[in-house]
Amino acid sequence: MSSNHIINTIFGEFQKNLDQEQEIREVIRNICKDVDQISRETTTVLQVIHHDETAIPAACLKARELFEKANVGYNKLKEVVPSGDYYKYQDHWRYMTQRYCYLISLTIWLEKGLLATHETVAAILGISAEEQKEGFHLDIEEYLVGLLHLCTELARLAVNSVTHGDYNKPQQISKFVMELNAGFRLLNLKNDHLRKRFDALKYDVKKIEEVVYDLSIRGLLPKTENA
Amino acid sequence: MSGRGRYRGNSCHGKTLSSVAKETATSLPEDSPVLQMFKIAAHKLNDRQDRHERLVKLSRDVTIESKRIIFLLHSAITKTSAEKSIHEAKERLQKLIQGPLKGIGLELENSPAHLHSRAVTPGFQEFIEARMFCSFMENKLLITWPEVQKELEYKEEDRTVITMVPQLDYMLGLADLTGELMRKAINSISSGDSEECFDSCQAVRDLYTGYLGIFGTGKELARKLSTTRNNVFKVESAVYALRVRGGEAPPTLLLAAKPDWERNDHSDDEGFF
Repeated sequence: MSSNHIINTIFGEFQKNLDQEQEIREVIRNICKDVDQISRETTTVLQVIHHDETAIPAACLKARELFEKANVGYNKLKEVVPSGDYYKYQDHWRYMTQRYCYLISLTIWLEKGLLATHETVAAILGISAEEQKEGFHLDIEEYLVGLLHLCTELARLAVNSVTHGDYNKPQQISKFVMELNAGFRLLNLKNDHLRKRFDALKYDVKKIEEVVYDLSIRGLLPKTENA
Repeated sequence: MSGRGRYRGNSCHGKTLSSVAKETATSLPEDSPVLQMFKIAAHKLNDRQDRHERLVKLSRDVTIESKRIIFLLHSAITKTSAEKSIHEAKERLQKLIQGPLKGIGLELENSPAHLHSRAVTPGFQEFIEARMFCSFMENKLLITWPEVQKELEYKEEDRTVITMVPQLDYMLGLADLTGELMRKAINSISSGDSEECFDSCQAVRDLYTGYLGIFGTGKELARKLSTTRNNVFKVESAVYALRVRGGEAPPTLLLAAKPDWERNDHSDDEGFF
């Protein structure tokens, strides 16, 4: 009967751990729901850039405020997720984190016209940028997917800025996205989700190029940039 | 980049879509901070991929050797040959533990757990199956997860390396074990060892009962459970045949009923591959 006892222990322990895992997942889910809510709000706030240029600084400020809140949320996550189990529960915050990478890099681009680095984004979210054996961090792949989202949004912005008479921005966007495109080509991508997302980048690049082309053949590009 | 190189024929200013694109592209500085950052990112991604590939390879080594060990354990017919093959199996398991499994542990030493779990889970499951089958053959006992975990601790000069086997992989390997036990039960009918057969049957049953009580698991275990259920049915009908007709016929005759299971035997009990 001792073998029966062993089987009972094996399954009992397993069920116990399963239950614990379920509890942790429940807590994580709840936190992620709140943090995700903030990311949606930020996305909405930033949509104003497509129709009202003057509102951009205010939108950026508002976005910054919301990032502060997200930072608090990520800190909670950091506490809840057992160190060492980051990749076990990653699916809960994966898409949300990608969206934050996009939102933060968009905000920083609007403010300064610069690319937000992996470290900067991680710092704004209040997490580490280094992939560690233990602990919560910003996964490099998530960051890169966020940048690809940024390119799509900028392609749209290029079109819309022309619509309300800003002929300068498309060129600025074109330079920026071209540089990112060159950067992404340095990566050895596997056949995974990042690769698929990267394959869509060429359509954004094409869209931006066409805008710049349309402006240039009509002589609408600012002269200083042309020379 | 598909916009590049497409000539539109509109060149009143000497500009085409492609020349506009080229201008932007060539105006990029060679070594801007952005490209610098991407080089670092490329390095990180490559690292990750290489490690993944190495782990897949190690895991496959573990899988192959584990399958062979299981086969070896099945091949024994008499008691003495069984003892010999158990002895050999134990040695080979030890080699696995000191070889590829240790390699996995070293490879994962400084990287986050679960990041590469997809690469190593097949090997872990097969190893658990072989390890359990061996110990069951030896003394009819199973080993618990902490005990397996303890076997996979390695003392290095200045530190301890542990190959972490997730509990889920352990449970998945244990589910595969029912398939082996079923085979063993049926094999032991043919070698006339009905005691052995009943024991194995009971073990399959116990394991199945255990799995029935578990709730809240993922897809993988649910899929294995249906295979396990089939194993239980097969082994129980085999034992039934042994009981009912066992008295009246020599064991070899009972085998006439066997091809029935034997035929589906290979179809689904190796649920993994």
